Amino acid sequence: MATIGLAEFLSSIISEPGASGHEDKVAAVAKKKMSGLFDEARTDALGNLIMLKRGIGRAPHPRVMLAAHMDEIGLMVTKIEDQGCLRVTQIGGIDRRILPGLEVTVYGRRKLPGVVGAKPPHVQDPGEREKSVKWEDLYVDAGLTGDEARELVQVGDIITFAQTPIRLQGKFMAGKTMDDRAGVGVMFECLRTLRDMRHHADVYCVATVQEEVGVRGATTSTYGIVPDVGIAIDVGFGDQSSVPEYQSISMDKGPGISIGPAVHPVIFERLKTIASELEIPVQTDPSPYPGGTDAFAIQIARGGIPTGLVSIPLRYMHTAVETVCLADIERAGRLLAEFIVRLDKKYVEGLKCF
Amino acid sequence: MKDLLKKLVEAFGPAGNEGPIREIIRTEVEGIVDEVKVDALGNLIAVRRGQGPRIMIAAHMDEIGVIVTHIDEKGFVRFSNIGGISPFMLIGQRVVFANGTLGTFGMEKLDDMKDLKLSKMFIDIGAKDEASAREKVAVGDIGAFCREAHFQGDRVIAKSLDNRAGCAVLVKALKELAGREIPNQVYAVFTVQEELGLRGARTAAYAVNPDIGFAVDVTGTGDTPEAPTMAVKLGEGPTIKVKDSVVLTHPRVRQFMAEVAKKKGIPYQFEILERGGTDTGPIHLTREGVPSGAISVPTRYIHTPSEMADMNDIENAAKLFVAILEEQLDAAIL
Repeated sequence: MATIGLAEFLSSIISEPGASGHEDKVAAVAKKKMSGLFDEARTDALGNLIMLKRGIGRAPHPRVMLAAHMDEIGLMVTKIEDQGCLRVTQIGGIDRRILPGLEVTVYGRRKLPGVVGAKPPHVQDPGEREKSVKWEDLYVDAGLTGDEARELVQVGDIITFAQTPIRLQGKFMAGKTMDDRAGVGVMFECLRTLRDMRHHADVYCVATVQEEVGVRGATTSTYGIVPDVGIAIDVGFGDQSSVPEYQSISMDKGPGISIGPAVHPVIFERLKTIASELEIPVQTDPSPYPGGTDAFAIQIARGGIPTGLVSIPLRYMHTAVETVCLADIERAGRLLAEFIVRLDKKYVEGLKCF
Repeated sequence: MKDLLKKLVEAFGPAGNEGPIREIIRTEVEGIVDEVKVDALGNLIAVRRGQGPRIMIAAHMDEIGVIVTHIDEKGFVRFSNIGGISPFMLIGQRVVFANGTLGTFGMEKLDDMKDLKLSKMFIDIGAKDEASAREKVAVGDIGAFCREAHFQGDRVIAKSLDNRAGCAVLVKALKELAGREIPNQVYAVFTVQEELGLRGARTAAYAVNPDIGFAVDVTGTGDTPEAPTMAVKLGEGPTIKVKDSVVLTHPRVRQFMAEVAKKKGIPYQFEILERGGTDTGPIHLTREGVPSGAISVPTRYIHTPSEMADMNDIENAAKLFVAILEEQLDAAIL
């Protein structure tokens, strides 16, 4: 039975490596830390962790799927140079400017600490400092000779950010992979809330794989589950200097509830109404583009699935210090639990009538 | 192998027009598999029935080419691309249409070669006017590059090694396995329209509904002067794919493939292809997901009429598939 709190849960899952396509360690820890909150769990062919909490009452039960991706952006070894340095490429969208000087972990034959090297400013050509370094000039140094590197590392090995979780002031927390382990945290909070509630719907909580490389895990898991309602939980741009207000949602003001082409308007309305009734703070988050999150993959699975999207405000996306407010995660978890207990046959059928 | 490869690379088969390739392969595999069928899009599916998990192996038959978009009053032919074509490599090349009509590429006067685009180019079939051009070609006709295969030492230079090399690998593997008992059911799929977005593999995988999937295609190399960083060399063995634009291969699948290669003494390299994708992409996202891997033939100058590969890599790719299919794949991977 999960007795740990949200901060501890998040700390444990963000400490695990889980670059896209290699999420097994995150899945194992998430499943263990959430045990007792679901009735059964399985891992599918691509590695999606599917946790089912059954509804009560007479069948058929409406099927609701929550999806938060557990993969993270990372690096992959492309070549081992004779001097022992490791050439790398990106898994998912990485801003090269954040890499030089970063501490990383190389998952070779064993776990190796490494650093991303950079050319000293003293020996740079004029103007070089104004430009970001190219992938060809980036490398990871694990302190290995060429022979040692070839012994311990091979092409295709994964490298992740080594950042450990940081508790900032108040309810703020930073670390790697809050995108989108914060969303897994929302499912944890939702299931904790549902433990004390009665719900008719069968709840499938899916920690999806390979979102960062093209919403791949949500594509196959939705095909398998065939939900009546799908809700993706991801992160949105939190307010920070240099990001315009109209492109961001505020930290500690509740989750963003998306409205846009990937979102069923009736699901948006229901989430907003429940939040208003229960005085759970939320923010309307216009999402004019359909792609980019699991919501898109869910929406177009099979014959089409009515889908919603809930976003946790997050600062410094795709860096090693992604920052969230724990209160927003708790609010999103509670909101989704309240949404789920209100799900019935009539509402689900109504989603199919425009 | 050389004869088969020569026949395959010299045949005409741009995406959507794979008929001639399909007929060559059908002749090769009929009688050595239990069933040969063609689906609605033109994928050729060669089935080996039996016990064990359903294994799909895909090799795309199509090649890049051009399509006629307009014929002007002087008989010059404007065109667009079928698949990924750089205008710079068209200069001086020849194109052949299905009816045997030959043309060469010309271009408008340009102040700067950097401005060269397909829209500034045309095909000259030597027609004297529009009417005589229209006797030979029509809008919508598809053309392919025109090159003979040349074997030199261990190396082959040819058009459309992408992916007739993969087709040859798969045909060779099926021949090796003919009459032998193996613990897997094999669906060897020669796919269509890979160059236009991995289309044939998507529908074939849906129909085959495999337990495990593989593709065989070509991949780039990093062994030419000032090449991009890539730890793949010609002649050092077929590659086991780790990543490309459309797939991160299943870790257990690729690890197993490497173990098999080691056990059988087949050289191999790990491959990370920074740009480009192959049929493994749609296969692994089929239905509820399919653990998938891929073997590639290292190839230089991909998407030109003079692609270069090493025959040993092609032979070894076939050996690796045979070795993999002899293993109990459900026990090893699932």
